[in-house]
Amino acid sequence: MSAAGSSAESFSAQKIAGYGVATVAAVLVLYPVFYLLQAALDVGEPQTRPPTAYGFDNFAALLNYPQIMLNTLSVSFAATLMALVIGFIMAWILTRTNVPGRRVFEQLMAVPFYLTPLLGALAWSMLGSPESGFINQYWRALGGNGHLIDINTPYGIAWVMALFEGSVAFVMIGAVMKSMDPSLEEASQVIGASRLRTMLRITLPLVIPGVLGAAVFVFAEMLGSFAVALVLGTPNRYYVITTAIYQLIQQYPPRIQVAAAMGTSLFAVMFVMIFIYRRIVTSGSYVTITGKAFRPGVADVGRLRYLLFGVCVLYLAASVVLPIATLLFASVQKIAVAFPAADNFTLNNFRAAMSMNAARSALSNSLILAFATATIGIAMMGLLAWLIYRSRLPGAGLIEYVVMFPQAVPRLVFAFGMMWAWLVFPIPIYGTLWLLLIAYLTVFLPLGVRTIAGVMLQIDKSLDECAQMCGASWAFRMRTVSIPLLVPGLVAAWLLLFIASVRELGASILLMGPHSKVITPSIVESWFGTASELTATLALIQTLVVAVAVAVLVIVTRRISTHSVN
Amino acid sequence: MAHNKHGHITRRALLKAGAALPFVGVGAPNVLSQPLPKSPTTVLDFQTNADVAKAEQEGQLVFYCHENEAGTAGIMEGFSKDFPKIKTSYVRAQTGALYSKILAERQAGRFDVDVIQLSDLAPAFDFQKKGGYERYESPQSGAYKKDHLSSPNGYFFWTGVDPAGIAYNMDKVSTSDAPKGWKDILDPRWKGKISCKISASGLQFVQWYMLRKLYGDGFWKEFAKLQPHAFDSRVQLFDRLSKGDDTITAIGEYPAYILFKSRGAKVEFVAPADGLVATPLVVGAVNKAPHPEVAKLFVDWAMSKRGQAWYQTNPNLYYASVRTDAPPMPTGVSLNQFKLLYPEDWDEYAKQSATFLKEWNGMLGL
Amino acid sequence: MTPKPHIEVENLEVSFGAVPAVRGVSFTVMHGEQLTLLGPSGCGKTTTLRAIAGLEKPVAGEIRIDGAPIYSASRNTNVPAEKRGMSMVFQSYAIWPHMSVFDNVAYGLRVRREEGAVVKDKVMQALALVQMQGFADRRASQLSGGQQQRVALARAFVFQPSVLLFDEPLSNLDAKLRADMRIELRELQHRLGITSVYVTHDLEEALAMSDHIVVMRDGLVEQTGTPDEIYRLPRSAFVADFIGSANLVHGRNRRDLAKDGLFALETPGGQVIYGTAYGRPAGDELAVSVRTVHLQISPQRPGGERNVWRARVDKTVFQGDFTQVHVLWGDQPLIARCVALDPLPTGQEVFITVDPKRVVLLGA
Repeated sequence: MSAAGSSAESFSAQKIAGYGVATVAAVLVLYPVFYLLQAALDVGEPQTRPPTAYGFDNFAALLNYPQIMLNTLSVSFAATLMALVIGFIMAWILTRTNVPGRRVFEQLMAVPFYLTPLLGALAWSMLGSPESGFINQYWRALGGNGHLIDINTPYGIAWVMALFEGSVAFVMIGAVMKSMDPSLEEASQVIGASRLRTMLRITLPLVIPGVLGAAVFVFAEMLGSFAVALVLGTPNRYYVITTAIYQLIQQYPPRIQVAAAMGTSLFAVMFVMIFIYRRIVTSGSYVTITGKAFRPGVADVGRLRYLLFGVCVLYLAASVVLPIATLLFASVQKIAVAFPAADNFTLNNFRAAMSMNAARSALSNSLILAFATATIGIAMMGLLAWLIYRSRLPGAGLIEYVVMFPQAVPRLVFAFGMMWAWLVFPIPIYGTLWLLLIAYLTVFLPLGVRTIAGVMLQIDKSLDECAQMCGASWAFRMRTVSIPLLVPGLVAAWLLLFIASVRELGASILLMGPHSKVITPSIVESWFGTASELTATLALIQTLVVAVAVAVLVIVTRRISTHSVN
Repeated sequence: MAHNKHGHITRRALLKAGAALPFVGVGAPNVLSQPLPKSPTTVLDFQTNADVAKAEQEGQLVFYCHENEAGTAGIMEGFSKDFPKIKTSYVRAQTGALYSKILAERQAGRFDVDVIQLSDLAPAFDFQKKGGYERYESPQSGAYKKDHLSSPNGYFFWTGVDPAGIAYNMDKVSTSDAPKGWKDILDPRWKGKISCKISASGLQFVQWYMLRKLYGDGFWKEFAKLQPHAFDSRVQLFDRLSKGDDTITAIGEYPAYILFKSRGAKVEFVAPADGLVATPLVVGAVNKAPHPEVAKLFVDWAMSKRGQAWYQTNPNLYYASVRTDAPPMPTGVSLNQFKLLYPEDWDEYAKQSATFLKEWNGMLGL
Repeated sequence: MTPKPHIEVENLEVSFGAVPAVRGVSFTVMHGEQLTLLGPSGCGKTTTLRAIAGLEKPVAGEIRIDGAPIYSASRNTNVPAEKRGMSMVFQSYAIWPHMSVFDNVAYGLRVRREEGAVVKDKVMQALALVQMQGFADRRASQLSGGQQQRVALARAFVFQPSVLLFDEPLSNLDAKLRADMRIELRELQHRLGITSVYVTHDLEEALAMSDHIVVMRDGLVEQTGTPDEIYRLPRSAFVADFIGSANLVHGRNRRDLAKDGLFALETPGGQVIYGTAYGRPAGDELAVSVRTVHLQISPQRPGGERNVWRARVDKTVFQGDFTQVHVLWGDQPLIARCVALDPLPTGQEVFITVDPKRVVLLGA
């Protein structure tokens, strides 16, 4: 398509808005990556900037850490498998069977995501440590020997990762199952095939491409996972790439170059994974929500319902109830044990936590930051989604790659590049909340754009074209047609961004400054530097406050999105 | 070790463990370097060369510290109580990380830090060489021995000493099995059950250096066979120790021992006959600080009897003060009752840093 | 003085990436008339319409309104859709669900910044014209398909566009409603006198509503003409069979048998059929089209000396309003559509006849 047109078109509002936001996105994403790559290729004197010599020595040095690479791959692989199993089973139960309470469970499936893997890791550390873990203490009290579970092993790490990131697999596989045409299965049953046979021969093969896509995506996420490996892995000297990077840059002198090389190699692998994922997914249609939503056949499983109900309850117990109960249990004790004596109970931890200045400021910072990220985010990402999927401006496809790029980079690694990039930036945002805001907007680009695009693509193009035919300019159309129709989707995206930004760890932990402490990293700091009971208390308080904030927001936003799109 | 009814180590017991402080000076206690540039004023109960009114106008203190969260907050709390008009904010990270951070920032042209506290002399020397410290001679300098001040005076001072011995979980280790000296930590029975600190810790570096000197290169290689668990802070070490996740820690810091014991943890402290490893905790005002008067005021406060008392008695700190007129620690023990192990030649020590990092990280699987 | 055309489309080419959808289409539309683009799906009619609207960017050709180019490849002109002063009714109606019926219709007026009172007036008038005046305050998403269609219509003409474009507006309605709406639309278009370009694949619709029809296939124009012309005088086999059903007969030109201005075609089976050339060139090989409704069947020999033959009934298909009779004429199968016929058993010998004026020479 040629870009030529009458002069009336050249400086249209469309182009300014479109290319403007594209430039901003490109700078946000590529600027830190440049610094990351520069550091990875820097083979000169480590402390001098800009680098004096370039080369591949740092990558060669990676060969000295085969164990770490292996650890990363194996734990990610195990976690992905477990997450897929959990996700598949839950998706099948909740979309294809008549288990009681389906609607409620579907909503509840989001809670583990919201609770964060960090919380899960802390709780499971208290549950499953070989010596002090509650489960093991109970086991010994029942007469068992040694310990029942050791959460500080690769399997333990994978288990916790799967529990908390499994809900992502659930959503993706669930979407695939929902978009399946039920008449395909009905045809099989009508011919006389049993339900089991239908599931194995018809359902499974149809679902497999979608599951494969989910597998690749989840694997990429697991590769970049940080919190669980930090809490559960480092005590046992089990390092993965993200925690290794973290340690390498914490020491003096920091091994920046090796860390950068590690980060780059990780992101190269993730990049390939995401690329494969996109190929799998776009061979069908990119947006899993098609205009025509089928109502998948819900099977009546008879007595089995109650067993399946139990399975759902079990999952939620393991991922939500048990961790919270554990933290609560620990927070009211002086020294957390499974069988506390009466004098071991105390409210001191709560008193201490409330009075900790850092905790209070971290909470308020996080809430303010989340608000700003969500609000600026939907405007920016909404424009980007429009630019990529609806406008016909040339170069839009390229922007899609730039926007999806952060998906392939683990947050910690990205923040690492950002640290350098924004340190040298002339405007002094380093060490302030502004830097965190920029970081969040960058790393959430894929999430926000994807969510808004999903809604946007559901809206028939002709609604906008008709407004065009009525003579409305682009800006007028946006204001009167596009945006009002998008409001429910934008609201959902806003909430999603809010929650994502409150739970963010990988980027925040590197970019926090004295005046810009935020919640999740400060829970990690607390784990490093205070008694675990106090950490548990902090984690609980902060989770509660944010839960209240989110609940309030959900009520408020429900009022706003009263329009419905057919 | 005998205990009084508070579970603290008795004076006599420690005296038994060793008395001589290697650095007890022969020279006069008052060694001042140069005459002070202007006459000091008195604020609260100590003397300061800082312009207090100006400091209060500046109104903010940005403090970089190696301590854990509670410790750093504790230091800030002490200063805030005395100077409520000055708002404090801090960044904490282990010494290694902290030092890298401030260097990176300064290289990029950012000068946001007023005062920095480190737990290792090596980076302190380095920082002094790089001109990172502000040269400020406190009127409090008189109360410190020359060895506990920078040379020349004015760059940094020893705000305290963090001694560490061995500690173990009383439920898991009987008195007969308990370690008595440093060599006992190499016992194979501790395999998989012993903890230490990560390589970013200044104290860990000192321990590595000193025990290597004392017992030879093979010491830590033997130690590595025990597959120790490494952590960031002393609180983590004692947390695990008190719960039994670890049976013994090779680097049990005395302040943490006191703290956890007071909470009722079943932990026991061992002061080996060869001495406790110790690292100085050094504080200095930073060059090109955004609030220079506040920085000076803080240094004076920290050096003063008042500040030192705070450092010594705050449960999250429990530092041992090196001020010549410092009162005993809350346990009733004075620093000079410990035999302390730390490097004589700090330059030689600093040069070993790369070797230490390599060996220590390698041991930990990094 | 020849009236000036309103819309002129000249050598229009539109491609989607490497795939050409419209490969060189030309036609003109006069003021106040309805021109229909007719053809099977994939022929490029909708693309052409959208190009006129400005919703697709052509790669070559020119589109002029009243002589002024709104798109021109050579002159590098492309007026954006919102500035072309046209209006469009979409296949999916494109009713905005978050607005009321009134607001939907008022949109184009508000874009043009008309005053409130004027807007109200015009909107109610437009709604009255489509018999939807009682629905003004209804939420647009609560309407049925037919109702949405009317609102879409009112919205399209309320601001008096110079051109109305229709993209298969009736295809989502059921058959009865479609038939009724067809007539209404036609009357409305006459009443308002707005030039219209209409796209459909439905033959009956095109024939009933249009002043001119452009038959398209595979991105090209097959034939242009009035409905009657196209029906009676198809130029190609495709048009002949697309516009109503036709029998196609090939054979040799028997110039020696030609008379009375008719030509004679001899089939390979030896039958001779007389037809009218209608100005088309007659070569040595001829192809003719005979509409099934023009082929008459009777059990007895009919009068007339030309174009009367014997044939054998192969099968009959009852279709309600007519019966389709398949006969074998020698070895050539023919189809006739007959009204009110007595049942004919298979194998019966019948006579078939057709008026030579109804035997149309194809080609060029």
